[in-house]
Amino acid sequence: MGDLAKEAITIGWPLFALIACLFVYSVVSIKDGAAKKRSLFKLLIGTGCAFLLMLAIAHYKGSFYEANRMLPVSLVLITTTCFMMGIYFPNHAALFKIGGFMFLVAAGLSGYGNWLPQVEGGFPPAEVKLDFQSMSSQQLADEGEKIIFGGIGKNKEQGAVGKGQCPLCHAFHAGMLGERAPNLQGLPGRAGKERLEDPKYSKGKAAARDFAQKEAFPGSGTAENGQEYIAESHACPSCYVVAGYGVKGTNDKESPMPAIHKPPISLSLEELAAVDTWLYLREGVDAPTYEEMIKSYEKFVPEADRPKKQEEKAGGGGGDLLADGTETVDQIFQKAQCVACHTIPGIPGAKGTIGPALEEGTNAPLRMKDKDYKGSAKTVPDYIMESIVAPSVYVVKPFPDNTMPKIFGQKLSAGAIKKIVDYLSQVKTGSPPPKIS
Amino acid sequence: MKKEGEAKVEKGRDVYYKTEGIVVGAPAPKTVDGPRDYPRYNFESRVLLWFANQQHLYYGSFVLAVPIFCMVIEFMGVVTKDKAMAKRYDQLAYDFIKISLTAYSLTAILGGILIFTFLTLYPAFFGYLSGIFRPVMHIYALMFVAESGTLYIYYYGWDKMRDGFLKWIHLSMSVILNVIGTLLMFLANSWIGFMMSPAGVDEQGRYLGNIWHVIHTALWNPLNVHRILGNMAFGGGVVAAYAAYKFLASKTDEDRAHYDWMGYIAMALGVAFLIPLPFAGYWLMREVYAYRQQMGITLMGGLLAWLFIIQATMIGILFLSTNYYLWQALGRMRGAEKYQRYIKYLVFVLCCGYLVFITPHTIVMTPAELKAMGGQQHPVLGNYGVMSAKNGGINVIITTTILSFVWYMRGNKVSTVSWSKFGNIFMGVFFACAYVNIIWLAIYGYYIPANVRVGLSVPQVATTLSCLFFMFPLNAAMMKGAKQMGAIEWGKISVRSQYALIMLATAFTWMMGLMGYIRSSVRLFWHVNEIMRDNSPWAYTHTVGFAANMISFNVLFFWVSILFVFWLGSLGMKKAPVEAKAGVPGGAPQPAGGH
Repeated sequence: MGDLAKEAITIGWPLFALIACLFVYSVVSIKDGAAKKRSLFKLLIGTGCAFLLMLAIAHYKGSFYEANRMLPVSLVLITTTCFMMGIYFPNHAALFKIGGFMFLVAAGLSGYGNWLPQVEGGFPPAEVKLDFQSMSSQQLADEGEKIIFGGIGKNKEQGAVGKGQCPLCHAFHAGMLGERAPNLQGLPGRAGKERLEDPKYSKGKAAARDFAQKEAFPGSGTAENGQEYIAESHACPSCYVVAGYGVKGTNDKESPMPAIHKPPISLSLEELAAVDTWLYLREGVDAPTYEEMIKSYEKFVPEADRPKKQEEKAGGGGGDLLADGTETVDQIFQKAQCVACHTIPGIPGAKGTIGPALEEGTNAPLRMKDKDYKGSAKTVPDYIMESIVAPSVYVVKPFPDNTMPKIFGQKLSAGAIKKIVDYLSQVKTGSPPPKIS
Repeated sequence: MKKEGEAKVEKGRDVYYKTEGIVVGAPAPKTVDGPRDYPRYNFESRVLLWFANQQHLYYGSFVLAVPIFCMVIEFMGVVTKDKAMAKRYDQLAYDFIKISLTAYSLTAILGGILIFTFLTLYPAFFGYLSGIFRPVMHIYALMFVAESGTLYIYYYGWDKMRDGFLKWIHLSMSVILNVIGTLLMFLANSWIGFMMSPAGVDEQGRYLGNIWHVIHTALWNPLNVHRILGNMAFGGGVVAAYAAYKFLASKTDEDRAHYDWMGYIAMALGVAFLIPLPFAGYWLMREVYAYRQQMGITLMGGLLAWLFIIQATMIGILFLSTNYYLWQALGRMRGAEKYQRYIKYLVFVLCCGYLVFITPHTIVMTPAELKAMGGQQHPVLGNYGVMSAKNGGINVIITTTILSFVWYMRGNKVSTVSWSKFGNIFMGVFFACAYVNIIWLAIYGYYIPANVRVGLSVPQVATTLSCLFFMFPLNAAMMKGAKQMGAIEWGKISVRSQYALIMLATAFTWMMGLMGYIRSSVRLFWHVNEIMRDNSPWAYTHTVGFAANMISFNVLFFWVSILFVFWLGSLGMKKAPVEAKAGVPGGAPQPAGGH
């Protein structure tokens, strides 16, 4: 609270100076006793209001980037200010009251938004180089599970979604939610029999099909076995639509599913092979070989449409990163080896003494005011960001310069740096450490 | 052998229309985080652009909506036989356009700021978009000039074209003004439509030469309809708040009566467009689902689902505020006491509808929350919030609002038509059947599969719209030549009612900010969905709390600035003719809506 009051005065000194001038003017110029008393009283109220307003601004400024659910308090402070002003300045009472009421409504809505569970959408998945070809079936299946559900062992978790986004529509176990697309339990057994034998599938007679698309591309033909059926379903969902799961109004002629090798999902053929391997292995069925699966996809995905392999993708390079931002903050500290040199409250094993303790919620404001500070940061998050990217801009005494590597700007993704900044901004001396997220 | 002059023609396939076209544009740039593609200040560029965009949109919506109001009010003034009333309507329309004129310059300034922000912070993205939309941008600029010219002639020619045939010409100019304004908005919508659901380009984002495909994307039409209605509701809210402010600041009964009347008309016009707004929203969502199911799920059942819970709350607040205002307005109507005792039942019905409407069915949760709750659905509430029930909730709310309006319109009158008894019974039965049908379908939805249940929204909405389109005209017919039981005492409305108007205006503004954020953030890490990826450090979606704080900031900034605009407008505000004002209290001015 003391820091906040200090910050409020720092920001609002011109306003306070103006009020002080008005105070002097009232004392010196107003001769009528009653008028002077009234004026001084109003100035007193005005001073209180100005202080509340500046307190609100300081609070808002300090909390802007933090996950601080108390931020609407600023708006309530301004509401109070407006109503106080409305009472003591009757000529503009309507304006103040309306303003105050609007701030109150906004505070309520902001508060409501902050009260709800906070979900932050992560960064786009990092593109990591993987050598699918040399993986064992189980390793492939594990990668497949990660692509579908976002992690190994997550397949029974409701709501777990990976890069492939399959569980948004499909269920994978009996009784699990998935009303928008068929439940994929038992698919390896079903694909080569029921599906291919369905007269509507028109095996071997693509031209006879009565769906939005007859073939994945001209001349691709239809599937001849279960694996090819799965590959075709991924590459050309509208070549055959399971009854009841078509786009509304198309009489099940068109599928709502996107072609998985195209945007927005854009899985490579190797990734699709991994996904399929998981579908087989989790049911205790032997999966076709990796080569067979790739071949099945090559039948339905023309060369020009095949997503480039990871190493060929532009803007990739995720493989060079120490952390890509999908990790929790403690993992990022570990991966970047921050823990070896720094003591970081709340991070297991972070007891290093080669660099300063990272209690930046308390330290950063003091360092930015240090006369030796030559950086450009004006806020705590900016200071931390600057210290990571350009550590020599300001070196905490008595630690020597050039000890900390200057590579973290390139070796940590923007998401990873943001997580570090968010965490360290909240670490304050003597306060319990923030939650790890 | 290649012949001389024969150029290599490369063809591409339209990502949406699936037609082939000759590639005439460059592929979407693959940006990298750095000063070339994402130059920045010491601040999050996305937030700066968000702020600039939102302020421009607020003012843009306001200046597009107000001329439509002016057109309606001026037209009412022209056709009204009562000369005093005609003058008052004319004066009101003039006051509106005057406010809008100051806001118009600010809109243009904010548009310039927006373009500069875009150019300086996202040059690669802006370059790509402007490369594709080049011809549209030129047309846009020309239309802006035409809009400005028409507006100035319309405003400055007001006195010169006050009477006779010239008045009709003046009125026609307001129609032209609104046509240009609407087309301007449609063109601006085509850019956001393209960013959400691109068309007219191939998979690499190369323009294929058909500008109509680029404009007419999957979401363009529903966005257009939704925005027109939204702008009107928002414009009504802003003008109603202006009237409320003037009412509260008024020193005389005369002024209070004038601004009470102005607030009522602005509110009625705003709410007239609020009522169909949820239906336009449903259409937009339906098209989103049809375009990309994942996009729909991200919105309604995924990452952004909590924002829709806030939206549902906001819609409830808007309708509750409207009804509250109408009930307060009944208090200034002598003879309307007979309706007061039934208000408590309407409150009950509205609250029930509201509670059902905001109950979620499935929501995004962390694994720990899932475990604690024992599944994706709450053990008790999870049974309630299915789509048909929610639709039932909102339709009950809207139908009740229509009923409140009907009561208000007949508050101090008794029908004198020979078939009034039959008419009253018919109306009563119609409303009762509407409620039964909506609620029955809401319950029936629990007994049928989800994909069939979605279809129940059609009969539910049709029921509500039937009440709107049949009951209002029927009531108006019954009230023609009706016996007045008492006067409307303009200016005698409670102070609380004015806060309801301010609540309405603030909530409209907040909801616009919220929905704009939802619409924009559903692209996730794409500048142009599936075509141009966002590789800036801000390619993630903010938390609900941060978004709420930012929306509040935008809303409050807009209101502080528009209050300044109001003040500027009041400096040279033309006073209403004395003879017109004299007849206000008890003079039974006829508010909008055929009252």
